[in-house]
Amino acid sequence: MNTNLVLGTVRSFCLRSRGKWQVPISGSVRQYASPPKRFYKKTSVLCTDNGYEITLDHRKLKTPKGTLFTVKSEPLAIAVATEFDSQKEHIERSRMHLSALCFTALDNPNNLSKLDMVNYLLNFIATDTVLFQYDDEQDLQDLQHNEWDPLIAWFNQRFETNLQKTMNITPPLVTDEDKIKIAKHFQSYNLETLHGFIFAVDTLKSIVLACAVIEQQIPVEKAVALARLEEEYQLKFWGRVEWAHDLSQQELQARLAAAVLFVHFNCSENFIKEKLIL
Amino acid sequence: MSATKVLRSLLNELRRASPNGCIKDSLAAKYILAQYKKFETTDQQLCKARNEAIFLGNTYNTYLASLRNYKELYMEYHGRGERTVKETADLVGFKLPTDPK
Repeated sequence: MNTNLVLGTVRSFCLRSRGKWQVPISGSVRQYASPPKRFYKKTSVLCTDNGYEITLDHRKLKTPKGTLFTVKSEPLAIAVATEFDSQKEHIERSRMHLSALCFTALDNPNNLSKLDMVNYLLNFIATDTVLFQYDDEQDLQDLQHNEWDPLIAWFNQRFETNLQKTMNITPPLVTDEDKIKIAKHFQSYNLETLHGFIFAVDTLKSIVLACAVIEQQIPVEKAVALARLEEEYQLKFWGRVEWAHDLSQQELQARLAAAVLFVHFNCSENFIKEKLIL
Repeated sequence: MSATKVLRSLLNELRRASPNGCIKDSLAAKYILAQYKKFETTDQQLCKARNEAIFLGNTYNTYLASLRNYKELYMEYHGRGERTVKETADLVGFKLPTDPK
C-alpha cells in the first residue's frame, strides 16, 4: 500500500511536470536577449569646457557606469556620435568598437593602473606572433621571412631593441634592457591611449605589428593580413570559408581600425599659434 | 589611395552607414569635408607625421567598410536555431510525404 502511494505520487508528479515543463516545441526560433531599441532620433556633439559630449535627442550620453561621456578630441566625439546614429532599429553594442573603447577608457572597469597595462603589454612580447616562425615548410618560411622580418627589423631600429625570432617552440629571449626600453615608450602615453594599445595588441596578438600600424608603417588591412599570415597560407590548400575566415578578417579589421583611430585621436593635440602682426 | 579617392569612398561608406541613406546633415561628413578644405593644398601644415591625415582617413574608411561587411556576413550566416523538417528537406532536395509529387 505504501509503495502504491509512493508510485502514485511519483506518477502524479511526472504527469504534472510533463504538463508543466514539456511544452511542445513550436517553430524553431532561438530566444536571445534582444538588444536595446534605438530610442533616439538625432545624435549630435556638444562642446563644453571639459571636452566634447554627445547628445541623443535631448539626453546626454552616459557610460555604462553612469558617468557623463566626455572626450577631449572632437573627431573622436563625432565618430562616436556617427556610430550611434548609424544604428538602425536596435543598438548593436557588440559592433560599436569605437564607442566601446571610449567607454572602457572612461570607466576603466578593471581599475587598471598605467603600470598594470604596461606590464600586460610587456608580457606579450615573448609570445609575439611575428617572432614565432616555422622552417619546416619552405613556402611558408619564405612568406614569413619576406613579410615579417622587415617589420621586426623596423621595430628593433625604432625602439633600439634586439628582438630575435625563434624557429621552434622555445620562446624568444627578451633581455631586461629591451623590456625597459619598450616600457619607457609605453609609459609616455596616457591611460586612455594605453587602452587603445591593449585593444590593438589583443586584436593582432602582436606588439610589433600593433606598433607598426599605429606608427603608420603599414595600413590596417595589411596588419591584419600579416597577423593572419599562416591562416591565409593554409587557406590556399584547404579552402576559404566565408562564415569563418572572412568574418574573422572583417572583425579584426574593424577592431584594429577602431584602436588605431582611438590612439591617434587621444594622443594628438593641436596647438595653433597665430602669427602676431604688429 | 589618393586623397580624392579616400574622400569619395569615405562619403560613400557614411552614406551606407546612415539610417536613411542621406548625409546632408551628417556631422562626420561635415567634419571630413572641413578637414579636406583645410588641407586642400597640403596636409603638412601641422607638425605631424607625413600623410597622417590621409592615413587616418583611410583607417576610418576601413573601419566603416569592415563593419558593414561584417554585418552583411553575419546577417547571412548567423544561427537562427534549428531548421524545420520542411527546410531541411528543401536543403537536400527531398519532398515531404504531404507534398504533391
